[in-house]
Amino acid sequence: MSDWLLQARVQAFMVEYAACLDEERFDDWVALFDPIDDCTYEVLSRENRDLGLPAPIMGCYSHGMVCDRVAMLVKGVLTYRHNHLLRQVSNVRVLPAAAGGQAQAFGVRAGLVVYQSDPEGVSSLYMVARYEASLADLHGKLLIQRMAVVVDSFGIDTMLAVPL
Amino acid sequence: MRKLRPETADDAWPRADFSRVPYSVFTDYDIYRRENQRIFRGPVWNYLCMEIELPAAGDFVTTWVGETHVIAARNAAGAVHAFENSCAHRGARLTSAVRGNAPHLTCPYHLWTYTLEGDLQGVTFQRGVGGKGGMPATFQKNEHGLNQMRVAILGGLVFGTFSDATAPLEDFLGPHSIAQIERLLVQRKPKVLGYLRQRIPGNWKLYNENVRDPYHGSLLHQFQVSFGLQQPTMRGGIKLDSDLKNTWNHSIVTEQDAASQKIVAEAYAGTGKFNPDLKMADPALTRVPLDLGDNYKTTILSMFPTLVVAQVDNTYAIRHLRPKGPDLVELHITYLGFESDTPQQTRDKLLTVNFIGPAGYISLEDGEALRLVQEGIRHRRPGDHEVLEMGGVGPIVDTDYLSQEISIRGFWSFYHRVMGLPGPADAEAAA
Repeated sequence: MSDWLLQARVQAFMVEYAACLDEERFDDWVALFDPIDDCTYEVLSRENRDLGLPAPIMGCYSHGMVCDRVAMLVKGVLTYRHNHLLRQVSNVRVLPAAAGGQAQAFGVRAGLVVYQSDPEGVSSLYMVARYEASLADLHGKLLIQRMAVVVDSFGIDTMLAVPL
Repeated sequence: MRKLRPETADDAWPRADFSRVPYSVFTDYDIYRRENQRIFRGPVWNYLCMEIELPAAGDFVTTWVGETHVIAARNAAGAVHAFENSCAHRGARLTSAVRGNAPHLTCPYHLWTYTLEGDLQGVTFQRGVGGKGGMPATFQKNEHGLNQMRVAILGGLVFGTFSDATAPLEDFLGPHSIAQIERLLVQRKPKVLGYLRQRIPGNWKLYNENVRDPYHGSLLHQFQVSFGLQQPTMRGGIKLDSDLKNTWNHSIVTEQDAASQKIVAEAYAGTGKFNPDLKMADPALTRVPLDLGDNYKTTILSMFPTLVVAQVDNTYAIRHLRPKGPDLVELHITYLGFESDTPQQTRDKLLTVNFIGPAGYISLEDGEALRLVQEGIRHRRPGDHEVLEMGGVGPIVDTDYLSQEISIRGFWSFYHRVMGLPGPADAEAAA
């Protein structure tokens, strides 16, 4: 496949990823993950990343845990600030596949800015982060095998309830 | 500096048992400024960092004491010193790094240098240039060190105080605190697994109330109730130190039986929050075993003014409050594992961190609760106050039950005294 076609598919994939979360289509978001054993989703603080410290802010280490993260929101288990969120994904890069790696898996990098808007229509910047993902191209369908969201704004405003 | 407004009747504390707390303590900027003088620069020990964060000579961290930026550093002789991060010359911040290693500290502005004890070491062009200028002969470097704190260390926790009147650290913490520090931080050697930071739009004392309030634990935190981490029927209680400022609250592992489920169901009736059929697609998080064999499910040690050493299920963390004004506080969490942990125990802790911190299934709700209180009290009538009667009024005493707010009253009795606030003449009687 040509580079530009893959680039366009990945870009569309990341836009859909953001839309699933913005529109609270959480089942659709979960369906973007590959249900393999070591499917991971992590939100990492840049501070910890730079220090080589392993603790995530949010860590899901199986497809089930990815499901649970949003199920707790949908089922009303958590009391959290229910703002409207707008995720802007930018600077999407497709990394060349590592030699000897899985032929159909490849890395993706992208920037993320999230704005929050409260019930009275007041907006503010909520999050600055970058995506570090590993995607698989399985029979023409892109799926996330590993997703790390590295957060520059790790002094988290109030809470992080909805995944990034 | 603008003069603080005089205290008025609206600041008065109407009850000697501190079961009423005027909302102005959470919103009034003058009270907030007084706290900086009377508490953070007053006779208290402020948590600075963990000793393991300063393993080598020259290591330093920056932290906050109230709104004062402080450097804690280990010098060549191995001693830990602490001082304000503000040059003795013109006040510039010496470093903006959160942590680092340096043989000495240099102010970026005019390159004055300081030792890691906070003493002035070098003044550029002190003797002038080409025989002209320079500092006057009367200038004595030993009179111009950084503002230094007294430092004391207990159980690997580094504390500092600006006051000469502060009681010895062991006395200030009290026996329950020392026993819990020993249990959580000394019997196994801790290591830092990461830092979590949560900026909560609420007053720093609302967090002090939150951690002294086991009443909310099984009500706000439905996740805890649903997965057996905290049940209103659990055994547990609180222990206070002699001047009531520090609280240890704890709950003990109990089997969830039909009777306890019935009590939970009744407590939640009509709230729409009880969900007995809640299941997890992957329950691994809730199945991590407790690796201390002493059956405590949750133990929260809250020490005046800004330190919490917490075990929530199998998580171990230092929580430090960094006020940023009357209506904002950074909750800074040092998340811990232990040197003796197996690789599996480390993996378990990277999983259970999902209970705590800004994204924690439990702790994220505390950020929201504080925000809601701060929003709710922003414009209450002067003289309005909190009502703290759960668990009983009157004497402030230890309990063997969890649904109580007595330990919150303990916090306020000490706060009231150290702040020198107006109140009922017999306020001391409660203590």
